[in-house]
Amino acid sequence: MERILNLLKKPAIQYSLVIAFLALVGGAGWAFYQTQVPPPQPIQFPHNIHVGLQIQCLYCHPGAQRQASAGLPTEQKCWACHGQLKKYSDPANPVPLEKWPPELQKLAGYVQRGEAIKWVPVYIVPDFVHFNHRPHIAAGLNCEKCHGDMSKKTVATIEQTVNMGWCLACHQARTANDPVKRTKLIECGTCHY
Amino acid sequence: MTDNFSRRDFLKLAGLGAATATILTGCGPASRYVVREPYTKMPEYTYNGQSTFYATTCRECAAACGLVIRTHQGRAIKAEGNPYNPVNLGKTCARGQASLQGLYNPDRIQNPGQHKRGEKTFTDMDWDAAIGVVGKALAGGDFAFLLGTAPDHLFDLAGELSKAYAAAAPLRFSALAVFEARATLGEAARAIFGKPDNLFFDLSNADLVFSFGANFLETWLSPVAYTREFANMRRAKRGYLVQFEPRMSQTAAKADEWIPVRPGTEGLVALALGKLAAEIKGKVLPAFNGVDVAAVAEASGVEQATLERLAQLFAAAERPVALPGGAPLAQSNGLEAGKAILALNAFTSGGVYLTAPAAVNDAYHRPASLKEMAALIERMNAGKIKTLFVHGVNPLFELPRALGFREALEKVPTVISFASFPDETALAADYVFPDHTGLESWGYQRAATGAGQTLISGAQPVIAPFYNTRATADVLLAASAGKLPYADEVAFVQAQVTGLIGAADGFFGAGDLPSFWAQFQQFGGWWTNDAKLSVPETPLLDKALQVEAPPVQGEGEFYLHVFPSPILAEAGANKPWLQEIPDPMTTVMWNSWLEMNPVTADELGLLDDDVVQVISPFGMLEVSVYRYPAIRPDTVAIPFGQGHTAYGRYAEGRGVNPADLLGGDFNSAGDLAFSGLKVQIKKTDKKQTLSRLESKLGVYGIGEKKE
Amino acid sequence: MSSPKIPEFKAEWKEGEAGRWGLAIDMDLCTGCQACVAACSMENNVPFVGEKESGYGRQMAWMRVERLWEGQYPEVKTTPFQPVMCQQCGSAPCEPVCPVFATVHAEAEQLNLQVYNRCVGTRYCANNCPYVVRVFNWADFAINPIHANPDKDGKLVFPLHNQFNPDVTVRRRGVMEKCTFCIQRIHKAEDQAKSENREVVDGDVTPACAQACPADAIIFGRLDDPQSRVSKLSQDKRAVHLLEELGTQPRVSYLSGGSHGNLG
Repeated sequence: MERILNLLKKPAIQYSLVIAFLALVGGAGWAFYQTQVPPPQPIQFPHNIHVGLQIQCLYCHPGAQRQASAGLPTEQKCWACHGQLKKYSDPANPVPLEKWPPELQKLAGYVQRGEAIKWVPVYIVPDFVHFNHRPHIAAGLNCEKCHGDMSKKTVATIEQTVNMGWCLACHQARTANDPVKRTKLIECGTCHY
Repeated sequence: MTDNFSRRDFLKLAGLGAATATILTGCGPASRYVVREPYTKMPEYTYNGQSTFYATTCRECAAACGLVIRTHQGRAIKAEGNPYNPVNLGKTCARGQASLQGLYNPDRIQNPGQHKRGEKTFTDMDWDAAIGVVGKALAGGDFAFLLGTAPDHLFDLAGELSKAYAAAAPLRFSALAVFEARATLGEAARAIFGKPDNLFFDLSNADLVFSFGANFLETWLSPVAYTREFANMRRAKRGYLVQFEPRMSQTAAKADEWIPVRPGTEGLVALALGKLAAEIKGKVLPAFNGVDVAAVAEASGVEQATLERLAQLFAAAERPVALPGGAPLAQSNGLEAGKAILALNAFTSGGVYLTAPAAVNDAYHRPASLKEMAALIERMNAGKIKTLFVHGVNPLFELPRALGFREALEKVPTVISFASFPDETALAADYVFPDHTGLESWGYQRAATGAGQTLISGAQPVIAPFYNTRATADVLLAASAGKLPYADEVAFVQAQVTGLIGAADGFFGAGDLPSFWAQFQQFGGWWTNDAKLSVPETPLLDKALQVEAPPVQGEGEFYLHVFPSPILAEAGANKPWLQEIPDPMTTVMWNSWLEMNPVTADELGLLDDDVVQVISPFGMLEVSVYRYPAIRPDTVAIPFGQGHTAYGRYAEGRGVNPADLLGGDFNSAGDLAFSGLKVQIKKTDKKQTLSRLESKLGVYGIGEKKE
Repeated sequence: MSSPKIPEFKAEWKEGEAGRWGLAIDMDLCTGCQACVAACSMENNVPFVGEKESGYGRQMAWMRVERLWEGQYPEVKTTPFQPVMCQQCGSAPCEPVCPVFATVHAEAEQLNLQVYNRCVGTRYCANNCPYVVRVFNWADFAINPIHANPDKDGKLVFPLHNQFNPDVTVRRRGVMEKCTFCIQRIHKAEDQAKSENREVVDGDVTPACAQACPADAIIFGRLDDPQSRVSKLSQDKRAVHLLEELGTQPRVSYLSGGSHGNLG
């Protein structure tokens, strides 16, 4: 014991301990930061344009209303509209592909190659958390509540730090007057299994 | 793949592995960079992340249980029973549950290939070349098909093909057919009931069941169906089950009484019971007259008082049923024993039924007897077979070595295997053209027994083929170049079921093929609403039955009782979870063992895990001893299922194959007579510990310090 | 000396509290076929450990089928096959010993939870479980490279992982686990019922073991519904509860003896 205490008095040991501690904290911070930055997407999808055109969130993410995962649209869904938009795809007056906006060129490329668009999910939870969209929509929450106002954003970014404290704060606040529901909603097994 | 299938875009999705990676990477930033592979064209009725269920047929044995597979993002993730299928009514056995471990087995053959026989790896080919090879082989004419036991669409197609090329009819075969002595059962049924049809034993309504070595809760005929029947029997009248066999099987463990008869005397016991029961009932049944009860008691090792008590039970029962299992029939006196046991059912009517005719291709083709296999081997040896097609069976593992299949195979110029796994036979073949596994393929299968309904269980792909495999039916149709009028496998299956479209009694009705086909896929097959069982004609019991005591084969001291492993059966050894499921009786995992009565083991000075040599006139193997309290002291038992020399990383080099000990004698129905075999046991100074679930402490003092 | 800051162990069973979910197992019908063990392992992403590790008793199955021998040949018998899984005790001995509250009682579902992300692997809970139904991940069995094939870039590919059920967490090394009564299926059924504006009724939830059981010996349902099959069976005179005398209040009932009372 005494030896360890003596060792701790050495400045070199002290510095290295501090450096190790800082590295640990820094590493943890970096790892946490990594979960909060928006990932690169295959296509810089402009949410603002689509929301501005009054397209409902549920049109492309229909799962949110009825199941755990909201779902990311397939190229089929994109092309259902883009394949027949007058602006570029009018058979009478076709615009050559090179003249299309670059992001739409990418989309057309995926469709031509019959390749799936590998969207990268932005809001993620660890694997030991089982999140379900359906009850949240059923409870009357709006998409904006967690995902932010998409009419002001192009690619999706994280608007809200997703951690258990945030989940629980809401679960507790919304069940303040209903102890039965509260028990259910703050139980570990509701999300972790 | 068929045209029909490629049109079905819903199964067309890229990469299946990425979602798995998502699951695996755990928490933290890594999850972020996992790319989820979405559909290119998502089917209208599905959502990302929502499960889709497909009905199909289980191919782990030939019982034709229906499965419903839960699929998720194009991956199959869980097998459940199909609640509509009358064979299993929504239930499954362990093998059915583990069927996905076959689909996702890391040792699957991924491409068509060729190699020099015996090499472990294959040189990849493309499918056009493969079809060319098959086409040449078919055109040559002198080919033979060796298929698995399941009476399925491929068997029907191979039959038509063989006819078109004037080749010999395909043979169906598997080790289970040997252990169940199906040919003998059929012959005995013909002798007693006048028809060789399959039998359905109505346990549900029975109040007494005498089972002569029928391990119907494990592997016999249709285990899921008979387990349900058994449970119904216990629920309804609390029927009483008596099991006669030299080693307590899992079924005997569930029995109310276990009678350890000497191997080969089951038929005699049946006759004695019949005689005594007839006397009690005052019935005149000449069939049982020729037996001397005292002599039977002496020969079988069952006390006369016990026989009398059981006969009284039998006479008093309202609905007694007697089951002839595999081991009593796989004897030199097996056919007679089978008749004697079936004759017991004459005391009542309605215990045994003849099963319904198959919905497609009415004549049921039983699996080949071992004698027919021997005839095939002879033809191979004589050079009469230029090409052997092997599908769904692994004869190098499943046939007794003494039959000489290995040597005969060398005389066949071209051997083409359609195996999904690199099993012993595939490695001994020139070409392997892997079929899809059952969960990736189309088809149908007739149910031989297990349900009262006329039934055909349908199969459809639940996921897109995982590797570069191709349906064997498609390969054969492409290679036969228009000899048969079917475009592809689906066209063939549709042509076969077309006859059912207007059928009156079907549980669904359809006016045309598309809507029939849709429902056929949706419900996982077609069956009649009502049971189509027929009560057999008055049994032919006017002549006295004679059962000879079986001659003993071999010089040894111990009867060798070989039984199919209840968990692995014949082809489960490459599924790791089946390997890890403890054997129900011994709780041994991942290995083979020799069961020996503790008294005998003490005499020989053997403890658990001591390795012994088992020597028969036909072979020798070394295996660890398990001191099994419920086996006759003059009998030792080895389960069949392990002992592969190939078949992937989970099966290879694990345990022993008792088929290497068996001889090549047949009974009068052409089945292998193996139950009379006697072996020698020689102690070695080796010890190999068996992994087992049960504690070794306190089980008959095993493991406790002696001093 | 007790510190007021340590929360009290809350899983005290109150008289008359039946629990919410329960199993009844008819041992007269169970044939020991192990279909439940296989089904459970397939549903819950339970890894297999291989021959050597299973020889050490590290087998991961969440349930086992017990049988014991009685008597000597030829009067030898086995005891009825008895599937044993987590009994989801109302007053569970595993719960108070967990130093990190990873083994907690679910107040709403009345189940014993194992929270994998909290678990630090002290294994106290397994030590304290009288039923020996908790299993520990001694290694990352599922990602052992022996199950993998290299792809063309030399990266390891695990084909068996395609079978993983996305509704169940894949556990890593150092984590305790046990039967959950297929809580993912319970949640699914509850969610479904809620979306249809009704309560969960008997028959909505079937765990994997009960779904597979060919003899229909395993019955699952609501214990707090006196009309449910499992409630009635748990009150049956054939019903026994394992190690009931310890006061654990197990939620699994075993039906012993013959189904018509004519056997011992």
